[in-house]
Amino acid sequence: MHPTLRNAFPYVALVVLMSALVWAVSFGTLPPADFSFHNGDEIKTVDPSKATGQPEHRVMTSLFEGLYREWPLGYELDEEGNVLNAPEPDENGNYPLDAAPGVAESVDISEDGRVYTFHIREAAKWSDGSKFTADDFVWSWRRTLHPETASQYAYQLWYLKGAKKYTTSTVTLGGLIEVELSDRLRVGQLFPRGTIRRGKLLGIARPPEPQHAPDASDEDKAEAESEWQERSVYLVEENSKVVAFSKGESTSGWSNFKVDWLAGSARDLPSEVVNCLHVLPDFEATVGVKAPDDKTLVVTLQNRTPFFLHLTTFYPLFPMNRKCIETHGTPAWTKPENIVSNGTYNLEFRRFRDRLRLVKNPLHWSHKQVKLETVDVFGFKSETTALNMYLTGQLDWITDAPSTVIPQLMARKERDYVPTPLLIIYFYRINVTRAPCDDIHVRRALNMAIDKQLICDKVTQAGQQPARSLVPPGLPGYRSPLCEPFDPVAAREELKKSKYANLPGGIPKVEILYNTNENHRAIAEVIQQQWKNNLGIDAELKNSEWTTYLSSIHSQEYSIARAGWVPDYPDANTFIDMWVTGGENNETGWGNPDYDAFVKKAAEEPGLDRRLRWMEQAEEILMAELPIIPIYYYVSKGMVSPRVKGFFPNVQDQHPLYWMRIED
Amino acid sequence: MVESQDAKQPDASELERYAALLDEARRIKGTSLWQDAWRRLKRNRLAMISLWCLVAVAMLAAFAPLLPLQSPLDKDLKDRKNLAPGFRGQRYWVKLGERSDLRFASDSLTAELAKFDDEVAELKTKVRAASGTDREQLLGELDGKIHNSDPLEKLWHNPGSIVRQLLRLRIMLFGDWCLPSLFGTDDLGRDVLSRVFWGARVSLIVGIVATLVSLLIGVTYGAVSGYLGGWIDSVMMRIVDILYSIPFIFIVIFIITILSAEETKAKMDALGINQLTVFYVLIGAIYWLTMARVVRGQVISLKTELFIDAAHVVGASRARIVFQHLIPNVMSVVIVYLTLTIPAVMRFEAFLSFLGVGVQAPDVSWGLLVDEGVKAVTPIKIYWWLIAFSGGALAATLFSLNFLGDGLRDALDPRMKNR
Amino acid sequence: MGESLQFLFRRAGWYLATMWVVYTVSFFLMHAVPGGPFDAERNLPPEVRKNVEAQFNLNDPLPVQYFDHLTRALRGDFGASIKIPDFTVNEIIGQGFPISASLGLFAMVFAVCLGTTAGVVSAIRRESFVDFSFMVAATLGIAVPNFVLASLAIILFVFQIQLLPAAGWGSLKQIILPAICLGAPYAGYISRLTRTGMLEVLGRDYIRTAFAKGLSERRVVVRHALRGALVPVVSYLGPAVAGVMTGSLVVEKIFALPGMGSHFIEAAFQRDYPLALGVVVVYTALVLLMNTMVDFSYAILDPRVKLGEL
Repeated sequence: MHPTLRNAFPYVALVVLMSALVWAVSFGTLPPADFSFHNGDEIKTVDPSKATGQPEHRVMTSLFEGLYREWPLGYELDEEGNVLNAPEPDENGNYPLDAAPGVAESVDISEDGRVYTFHIREAAKWSDGSKFTADDFVWSWRRTLHPETASQYAYQLWYLKGAKKYTTSTVTLGGLIEVELSDRLRVGQLFPRGTIRRGKLLGIARPPEPQHAPDASDEDKAEAESEWQERSVYLVEENSKVVAFSKGESTSGWSNFKVDWLAGSARDLPSEVVNCLHVLPDFEATVGVKAPDDKTLVVTLQNRTPFFLHLTTFYPLFPMNRKCIETHGTPAWTKPENIVSNGTYNLEFRRFRDRLRLVKNPLHWSHKQVKLETVDVFGFKSETTALNMYLTGQLDWITDAPSTVIPQLMARKERDYVPTPLLIIYFYRINVTRAPCDDIHVRRALNMAIDKQLICDKVTQAGQQPARSLVPPGLPGYRSPLCEPFDPVAAREELKKSKYANLPGGIPKVEILYNTNENHRAIAEVIQQQWKNNLGIDAELKNSEWTTYLSSIHSQEYSIARAGWVPDYPDANTFIDMWVTGGENNETGWGNPDYDAFVKKAAEEPGLDRRLRWMEQAEEILMAELPIIPIYYYVSKGMVSPRVKGFFPNVQDQHPLYWMRIED
Repeated sequence: MVESQDAKQPDASELERYAALLDEARRIKGTSLWQDAWRRLKRNRLAMISLWCLVAVAMLAAFAPLLPLQSPLDKDLKDRKNLAPGFRGQRYWVKLGERSDLRFASDSLTAELAKFDDEVAELKTKVRAASGTDREQLLGELDGKIHNSDPLEKLWHNPGSIVRQLLRLRIMLFGDWCLPSLFGTDDLGRDVLSRVFWGARVSLIVGIVATLVSLLIGVTYGAVSGYLGGWIDSVMMRIVDILYSIPFIFIVIFIITILSAEETKAKMDALGINQLTVFYVLIGAIYWLTMARVVRGQVISLKTELFIDAAHVVGASRARIVFQHLIPNVMSVVIVYLTLTIPAVMRFEAFLSFLGVGVQAPDVSWGLLVDEGVKAVTPIKIYWWLIAFSGGALAATLFSLNFLGDGLRDALDPRMKNR
Repeated sequence: MGESLQFLFRRAGWYLATMWVVYTVSFFLMHAVPGGPFDAERNLPPEVRKNVEAQFNLNDPLPVQYFDHLTRALRGDFGASIKIPDFTVNEIIGQGFPISASLGLFAMVFAVCLGTTAGVVSAIRRESFVDFSFMVAATLGIAVPNFVLASLAIILFVFQIQLLPAAGWGSLKQIILPAICLGAPYAGYISRLTRTGMLEVLGRDYIRTAFAKGLSERRVVVRHALRGALVPVVSYLGPAVAGVMTGSLVVEKIFALPGMGSHFIEAAFQRDYPLALGVVVVYTALVLLMNTMVDFSYAILDPRVKLGEL
């Protein structure tokens, strides 16, 4: 090697080191925020159509604002944000929440509870200063529902009439449809859309159905099917002329396809096929949302949905700025320099895995009532680190204190860790298609053999309540039917009734599946011991990382699995309707026609009170047959600095930043 | 001249003298490399202490079920959560089977076990007497009894057959008596002392088996590559280079996940392979790379030596030369390297436990214990005994291995011969 | 110069092959693991799931996905992250990499400085108390897993002595603890390697000659002995850098640093295929780069080494 090169080496090394140092400390020149909190995890996106999850929720409710927003019942502020009336907590330390006006100033609900007429606030504005109109909602909901957006939470809008059809591109003969041509300005961007043509669907021409080879795999079959669907030609009546549209590239020989015609329509085929991107039911005609004028939004629901106002406080129903998205495209519009939002806070910058900074939006209609000027949202993952930062004063609020030190945290003289009950249930899901849990007596015995009180007192330790029902207490008007309490003697008697009691080989082993987490492991280990001691049943433990765990459950490859359920909206329905036969989130293999009937009755019931009674009857079946074993109801595990006021613990664990203020 | 004449025509007395000389030489017996090394190792006090420590740890781990320890799995949540180390006070002294939730006869394992044995014997005689459907019924009952009511299983979850025999022996020797919780208890009320002992079993086995696997692959691969040389050598070494740069943690996580999938697990269970075995082999399969490089280097320098040429001349096959002549001669380097691999493997196991893909509960290993212990170290409260004893055991073992490795390196170094 | 270039070109070929192997193995292994990026506690309605998967071409046959992604990766574009839709993989790595790299660099500087110093001192004062305590410390550094070290260090320096901040990234103070915790095992290892190397070199003739010439001990050690003793240390640096990169994921988690390490495991666990592949490829490239640097360093330390022969 050349000597000059050799001699230069130490200097090069020095330069590299210095630049690394400069880079490393360049982060440090940040003015501190008024308020910092640990958000549990990095948020994945600030796009309301794409977000899922708790950490996202905490940021989205600050960045955007829905028609209504969560507000503590009885909490009153004057124009300047001075507290006029502060509510009192209930006996658990929780404050009841109410859906309070947000972007909408008020709402009129029709007699049958299916039509909501929202009146948009005059003062509502976007963060770029432009006026907010009712049409912004129509456009945003269209975006969320559009199949190409592929929103995972699109189904939260499916309570609207016809919304599901739009997401699933379900078109019916004779119905109005919208066809988007493939002439988009930017390829790969949904908005601005290509030319939209509308008309009545007269017929669908389909190529001959694909013939599957006998040894074709399911994947191949599915592919052939979808290709077959792609090649369909849609015959649409547009200005009393028939036009043919197709999404497929090759429609050669389509005139020989078999055509399903709308009864009584003209049957002449146009000569050419127009290539298009999407064939969807016409949004305006199908989906129950209209903006008759700039300040009025009319929403028509499928069924009476008593929790709809609460749903409008949830981010999938938040508005998005059309101009911003159409200018920058997805995902560029979510960058801090581009984003236009309408919430109480604006996004200043976003450092991945470090923090996200929010600053107060001076254009928001309630900006004088918002007291925290700048907020840092930390997105790293370790609870212990968060606690360390909280204790050294780097954070004001942590959302999840580590459970190893709960007794010590509860004994702190600052009284900054006060768990309150939440609307979340911790339960064991049972695969009822596997031995020995296919026997109802075994399931009942397993339930009675768990000392849930002991688990709450000695393992979880934060004042969780042992659960004997699926729906946690705290929902007004709903009284849960209970399953049997802990009783080892009765459990053994119950077990003797089972068909496995005197089988050669004894009672088959069960396996408890849980996702990797020390709390889940501790609970599973205790339950394992209790089942062995009280019933003699062997339980093996199996931990999987989160995604594998989910996939085992989705494919029902488990015998007993730990689970939790966080409601999307404060209503018993979110707990009850998942257990209908074959329901997407059922995954236990359990089904009961009576149960399904009660759930259906509840969904269609216009009477609010009777609706609850139907759901109670459904839950009673569930608690008798026990395809799930409830273990305990969660409590909040947040710690908040005593200088923070306006925190208002509540059963939904919601703490929007616009409630809070700092008083030293 | 004279000497050559002597060589040509040795007379009888000369022959006798040679025979006597030869005899003497035979009797002296040159010290072999190994004896020599052993002699020198014995002089190294630190290394010898380490060696005996390791032997002791291994023995204690192997016979842990025989020691008068509490059950490492039995959780007493009611009164024995998070006890600090100690031996005074009633809560520290535990009798096997006295925890009330077990509902054992007269709160004692021996009594319950006697009762269980009696009941089983009684059922057996009944089965012998009975016939027809009665017999079927009784057989079922007997089976159920053995599977679901064995008191041993209630304290030690699913012990293997050897462990079960050892436990029976332990109960014969010590009865219900066991050592108090000298190391305290953890947050589920389990005895830390016995967990450290039982954890040693898994950790040591992981360390040893994984290292042996790496030894087997690494030595063979390195020796073959080094001996054959030429393009084969460069290709084989390039493969090692490629493998070196693969991020193994990434791969290990996926393989463990794939293997723990239900279908694969059932297949493996049918073959009698449990996940822990796969775990050992997997770790071993990662750590062979350095071993291969080291061995190759040694073999290259050895293969020009005279004794290899001699073997060639005698007509030994290539395989024989590699396995009979080369490998024994690189063993000294390999042994030193082994003492470095075992700690690395044990640390890797701890790291996997930290990520949650390590040993599965209710099995315990030191890695798992250390991980649990670290989580109990917080600025608010430090349960020091959860980390101190498991961490101490791990550190002491790794220390011993290191010092032993140093000692062995010195002892096996020919240049150190006359020091 | 030509010699170095030729060396680099020859290496580059092997490196591309290596990266291709790593890429392919990771790709297929990742897709063989059960579960996909859109598995969530709430199951998606099948129609929505279809739309979502179509967006990332996940319903194409595997080989098609492989070649699609590979051709894009060859152009340096790893696509959009599945789980973090606001960012592309390149952006995410671009943000995290410099932080991981500077953390790793500090850790290595710490390890090399401390390790060589301790090693040299141990070798000169052989079998003294100093030697013994350094050796114990080094063994401890090697033996203690770095998550344990980090937790204990936080208790000690953050809460007992209140000297350093608990976590975060941005100031010099915040770098010290993570760098030390990350570098400690390597410092231990390097000190042992240096000690052994020094002992061997100190016994050589040329050192005796240097002493005989009447040179001071300091001069002999620094000018003559150290250079030879460092060769094994340098060859250890390649694997050490790889270790620092993976070790950093633990330290980054405990100290809440926004580096790349956390993506390494998390992307794998969440089945964020593009991100995981991007991170793995960058990691592999880095290890290979470091190996090349190590080979260069041989040539720097020892004038007799020809790069062409490596």
